[in-house]
Amino acid sequence: MSFLRVENLTHIYNQKTTYSRDAVSNVSFTAEKGEIIGVIGHTGSGKSTLIQHLNGLLKPDEGHIYIDGTDIWADPKKIKNFRFKVGLVFQYPEYQLFDETVYDDIAFGPKNMGMSSEEIEKTVNEIILEVGLSKDYLEKSPFDLSGGEKRRVAIAGVLAMKPEIIAFDEPTAGLDPSGRQMVTDIIRNYRDKYNATVIIVSHSMEDIAALADKILVMNKGKLQMYGTPKEVFSKGLELKEIDLSVPQVTTVFDILRKKGFNLPDNVITVDEAVKLLVNLKQEGCTND
Amino acid sequence: MIKDLTIGQYYPVNSLIHSLDPRFKIVLLVVLLVFTFIADNFFALGLMVAFVLVVMVISKVPFSMYLKNLKIILPILIFTMLLNLFYVADGVVLYEFWVIKITVGGISRSVFMSLRVILLIIISATLTYTTTPNDLTTAIERLCSPLRFIGLGSAVHTMSMMMTIALRFIPTLVEETEKIINAQKARGADFESGKLMQRVKAIIPILIPLLISSVRRAYDLAEAMESRCYNGGKNKTMMKQLKIKNGDIISTIVVIIFCCSIITLNIFF
Repeated sequence: MSFLRVENLTHIYNQKTTYSRDAVSNVSFTAEKGEIIGVIGHTGSGKSTLIQHLNGLLKPDEGHIYIDGTDIWADPKKIKNFRFKVGLVFQYPEYQLFDETVYDDIAFGPKNMGMSSEEIEKTVNEIILEVGLSKDYLEKSPFDLSGGEKRRVAIAGVLAMKPEIIAFDEPTAGLDPSGRQMVTDIIRNYRDKYNATVIIVSHSMEDIAALADKILVMNKGKLQMYGTPKEVFSKGLELKEIDLSVPQVTTVFDILRKKGFNLPDNVITVDEAVKLLVNLKQEGCTND
Repeated sequence: MIKDLTIGQYYPVNSLIHSLDPRFKIVLLVVLLVFTFIADNFFALGLMVAFVLVVMVISKVPFSMYLKNLKIILPILIFTMLLNLFYVADGVVLYEFWVIKITVGGISRSVFMSLRVILLIIISATLTYTTTPNDLTTAIERLCSPLRFIGLGSAVHTMSMMMTIALRFIPTLVEETEKIINAQKARGADFESGKLMQRVKAIIPILIPLLISSVRRAYDLAEAMESRCYNGGKNKTMMKQLKIKNGDIISTIVVIIFCCSIITLNIFF
């Protein structure tokens, strides 16, 4: 049995009013422990709505969500337990920082979980290193940090609850290349260390290609595709139809293939591409 | 959910009332409000009720929406009724107990007064249901424009710009608040249970981020306006020009005829 199972999930906004629309309709998928799932889709395709269901912030109008075999809405009074099991990092999470020191802000989640103060201290000291900041930061005010540092503190605030499933909404939006790299590293390390299920909503195909084990494509609230990055990104035309793109290297390789180079159609990361091109060049040399 | 909160409570349908020039709408509805007080007998008030009913039907806003408004003022309504019922003592005494005296005059007075209150609410609701907040502020600015002759032109513009900005940012703030609430909930914050002090404390993680982002947004907006050379109302033209149409003139005539009838009814009964 899969660790996370979403079954026929449907959510309708503003039901019974003139503004009613299906935000998510009839979405089913499963995810295992240790998997990173990338969610892509055009703006308004229901990605954010989908992930807000995972920890019970939104209640599905139809369908069920099973975590480790239990329906999270089986007992609505216990929904809070799932808030700790499933972490959610919202878009631009740095705007939700509020406490006097970085330490207190990171400790907010664990405190709500009812951890003892020794445990909290241990966790916070551990997590701050995991997001690539030194312990000196703990005493600073979160409002004195730079944008990228704030983002990492905010992510740390969710990681500190050690969720088994964690969902990120556009974790790299608005960051510079080194900040993006930093955040993707944090996500990957967390998965490796805690064998957590990670769900990432992103517009950056490069980030998704680099991180995800599987990709979920949303279109107008429906699940369009669900497969490995190679499967999904080899259907470039289909993605273009729903206003999505493939990673830039994949496009470059498409053009090269059209020019007659013998290259595969499922190249999605720069590392892979470099290897193939080096090979090609060496072959070319030997042929001469 | 906070999203259900309606401010300005515009109801988007196409009706004759919706299409009226907002300046005319404001003036005509204020005239109606005044005449609700001028009508001083049941015949005049009856005509008033009939007229307002017709306006309600033409506006295409469902009656249930108007009822929602009345529900809010129900306590005031009951209070007015009771006050008049016990206070007015003329006509035949129907019931007497200790200092309480219920008379025919008292009953008719309390019905009259509560009808007045209901009419007031419905008339003002018609304005907000059929006019977008932006149209309202534009109309208020235009209506106040004669104030420029006494040197208050820029003050009028500033006020209306402030109103427009405030209205514009209400949905944004609501959205932002909801997002912050959700984010803190996702970290296990609890806003629904606990003692009063705990609940007040629970608001801090929402209030501080909200305050900070509002200040940041205000700076951004000021900078954006300045970099577009905004310098107040001097020589500024409107993007949306208000034009007087036939419907506006016709409805003005209708209201004038109606007001004359009210005065006539007042005199003859």
